[in-house]
Amino acid sequence: MNWFGAEIDGPMVVARAVHFAATATTAGALMFRAVVAEPALRSDGKTGVVVDRRIRDLAWAGLAVALVSGVGWLLLQTSAMSGQTCGEVVVSGALITVLNETQFGLVTEIRFVLALALAICLAYDRLLLPRWLALGAALCLVAAIAWTGHAASTPHKLGYLHLTADALHLYAAAAWTGGLMSLPLLLKAVRHDRAAARTELDAVRRFSLLGMTGVATLVLTGIINAWILVGSFRGLIATDYGWILLLKIALFCAMVGFAAVNRFWLTPRLALPGNALRNLTRNTKAEIALALLVFAVVGVLGTLHPAAHLVK
Amino acid sequence: MLERAEPRVGNKIAAPPREVTLWFTQKLEPAFSNVTVTNATGERIDTGKARVSGNQISVSLRPGGTGTYRVNWRVLSVDTHTTNGNFTFQVGQ
Repeated sequence: MNWFGAEIDGPMVVARAVHFAATATTAGALMFRAVVAEPALRSDGKTGVVVDRRIRDLAWAGLAVALVSGVGWLLLQTSAMSGQTCGEVVVSGALITVLNETQFGLVTEIRFVLALALAICLAYDRLLLPRWLALGAALCLVAAIAWTGHAASTPHKLGYLHLTADALHLYAAAAWTGGLMSLPLLLKAVRHDRAAARTELDAVRRFSLLGMTGVATLVLTGIINAWILVGSFRGLIATDYGWILLLKIALFCAMVGFAAVNRFWLTPRLALPGNALRNLTRNTKAEIALALLVFAVVGVLGTLHPAAHLVK
Repeated sequence: MLERAEPRVGNKIAAPPREVTLWFTQKLEPAFSNVTVTNATGERIDTGKARVSGNQISVSLRPGGTGTYRVNWRVLSVDTHTTNGNFTFQVGQ
């Protein structure tokens, strides 16, 4: 497939994009539960239980999609590395070679174990320790993605900075994504509650704080990553990698625009009569659509040679 | 991407080298990276498997005489990009 003149491997991009979005949703939902839902609904027993269950279901759905897409990604990656088809790699031993002798394979094995641990913890979610372990496993599942990408192959000490920035970038993306998916669930459940207004406001304010921290982190770590992978303005405009990165940044700015409207215009008007909640929910859905596009773009970016290596 | 090599790409050196080393912009996967070298008469003169250390890959050579040597490389970076290429250098008068 040829887009912007770049050779793009369709199935690989789809597998990666779906896997990243699903992993971010699962981890982000659990982060949202810990930081927003639980504190906001502490005094709200019945609604709290409903929201808790819905968020857990969201985490389950994300994990299931992450597992299936993760297996697909592994097969496609092994196929690309070995030059064999997906069917051949299973019988030929190429899959074993990738799993045992490459960093990508090793990280995939570790992430698979983390996913299983997360599944077990979600099954025992009523108990306190599994809840914390689930959050921990999900955070590790997200951060480990950094070891499958460009940051993992940056040599020397710069590699450590790159991996750190990339892991933080992934956390922030997960928090924002998971929060976007979870907030409407919470708001809908709370609306049926008579003491709705204050809980609603508390939840939305907490989510805004999580969101703003996420945006700041994405910007800072994004700049560090771009400095390492693009390195120059010329790299940004003279390579496919640069143009696709610019597309990602444009989508990000659009998301921030919707988030700003939600935070500074609609949130203060939530307690008043009117369409604030409906508009907030509609904007959130727009943000989710943009986030999925960002994951699609990231699915492409990781398969391309970084601009810094092409442009002096 | 290939960053530099020893012997240098396109260079002329006096005596046949004992090994060829290539440096790349990214860390490499040993399982899927290799380098082969042929001498002026087209014989393979690399011995054994190429050794990888971070972003560096080396292969030992047996004596190959004078003339144009060709280095063929195919490497997989840790972030899963495969690249290949070749270059030549001159040995002798």
